[in-house]
Amino acid sequence: MKGYGLFYFIAEAFRGLRANSIVNLLAIGTISMAMLIVGFFLLIFSNVQNAVNSLGDQIEMSVYLKDGLTSYEKNYIFSHLKAEIGVRKVTYLSKVEAIALFKKELKGQEALIQGLGENPLPDSFEISIDHRYADAQRLEAMARKIVGYPGIEDVSYGKQGAEVLTGLYKLLMYGGTALALLLGVSIVFIISNSVRLALYSRGQEIELMQWIGATRRFIQGPFLIEGMMLAMLGSALAIGVLAALFYLLPQEVVLFLSRPNGLDFLPPSVITYIIMGGGVLGLIGGLISVNRFLD
Amino acid sequence: MIQLYRVSKYYEGVPALREVSFRVNKGEFVFITGPSGAGKTTLLKILFCAELADEGQIIIQGINAFRLTSSNIPYLRRNIGFVFQDYKLLPHKTIFDNIALALKVVGTPYGEIERRVYQVLKKVGMEEKLHLTPPKLSGGEQQKIAVARALVNEPQVLLADEPTGNLDPESGKDVFRLFKDINMKGTTVLVATHDWETVRKMQRRIITMAQGKVTDDGSQSSQHSLTTGSLTVDLGTSTRRTFETKP
Repeated sequence: MKGYGLFYFIAEAFRGLRANSIVNLLAIGTISMAMLIVGFFLLIFSNVQNAVNSLGDQIEMSVYLKDGLTSYEKNYIFSHLKAEIGVRKVTYLSKVEAIALFKKELKGQEALIQGLGENPLPDSFEISIDHRYADAQRLEAMARKIVGYPGIEDVSYGKQGAEVLTGLYKLLMYGGTALALLLGVSIVFIISNSVRLALYSRGQEIELMQWIGATRRFIQGPFLIEGMMLAMLGSALAIGVLAALFYLLPQEVVLFLSRPNGLDFLPPSVITYIIMGGGVLGLIGGLISVNRFLD
Repeated sequence: MIQLYRVSKYYEGVPALREVSFRVNKGEFVFITGPSGAGKTTLLKILFCAELADEGQIIIQGINAFRLTSSNIPYLRRNIGFVFQDYKLLPHKTIFDNIALALKVVGTPYGEIERRVYQVLKKVGMEEKLHLTPPKLSGGEQQKIAVARALVNEPQVLLADEPTGNLDPESGKDVFRLFKDINMKGTTVLVATHDWETVRKMQRRIITMAQGKVTDDGSQSSQHSLTTGSLTVDLGTSTRRTFETKP
């Protein structure tokens, strides 16, 4: 077979890593710091997301029915509500059940409803919302649609709670993306500098390779692999440090942070994405430097 | 075969080569001489595609150098060996690794590398120095290694820019003897040199340059035939042969 492939590039990349070991160790350290911030943020993000999801699951919508509906009409409304996107569960609550529940909630202050006489509460359907659909805009649209059904008196839901949840989720999402982008750019910058140092230290060899007929691919291959390796090693180190911090946290802190949903470490898929993502950033950093150097 | 037709090169408007035209046939040995600044190095760099000419036509091994894309230049260079005045050996690598690099660059299988490095070192008489690094060798020895590296891929053309410029006369002779042997085996050799003494003794075609122009082609007879007793006979439009004559 003509030409040297991936194994040659990897072997040369290792040689390059060894040759500039101090510079590369510094690069790995710096990358791992940046990746540690990314990992730490992801850890918080995934746990807050879990919390937001479980809070989202608690959002309910109450659909109040007009008085005097037949059971056929109620069934008709029930089947339509069940068919709505994002509806997890629909429960019928008759006015008798509702007043009983209300009384139970007002335990000790039953006097407040003593003078009401006839039960003022309507029959209703209680809808549990899937957390994926629990954003404020979607809920508002759903409420507006349902209130238009015949036989519906009113619809209410935790509008403020949904808005807070949506805001929190968006803040995490956009803030996290911005932070990840910023750190990604820093990692590309760190890698491109490390690879540039490696290129300068081997400038004589590269120039000679060009003179003796080396293709661009042959010259740049090892440096790109070197950039990838640096970033992946830095990312792996960051995950290691994060895991050590996570598992070595004092038990009281874990218990405090665990309420109410429990605190989990990053799932293996996210760890894989972090390391692979680091590799991609390393490749980009390497490409930037190598192309600048060879042009 | 190398052919240049009215090739010019300018550096910031200053001409380094002016309408240079000549043809070198396969298997020829040609000296390019002239004072410093005559354009010898620029000419070799253009032939090696390290510089681009601004005007004219260049055909190297049947390839029009003007039409070469940058991605094709490495493939042309694989057919051209280049020997530099300053050897350009990698000081931290062994002689073996220095030569093996030229083989790796062209994708020679690992199994062949050792044999071919040994063979080429034997050709230049340096097979004993395989595991040394360049700084442990003399200038002449380093240049022999550089020649070995240029030859290891069996190029059809060998270009040398002042190859004996840093060498003592005896080492210089050794290097020229190597060039002669290589040429006898069919490789086209172009040597840019100041070393008029060697040029005169070797009795080969001489292209003389001054101020970026070819002032004389095959002019051994016109400048030195009376003293050395050589005669250049034009055998056609492009082929010249030099014959020894008794004074």
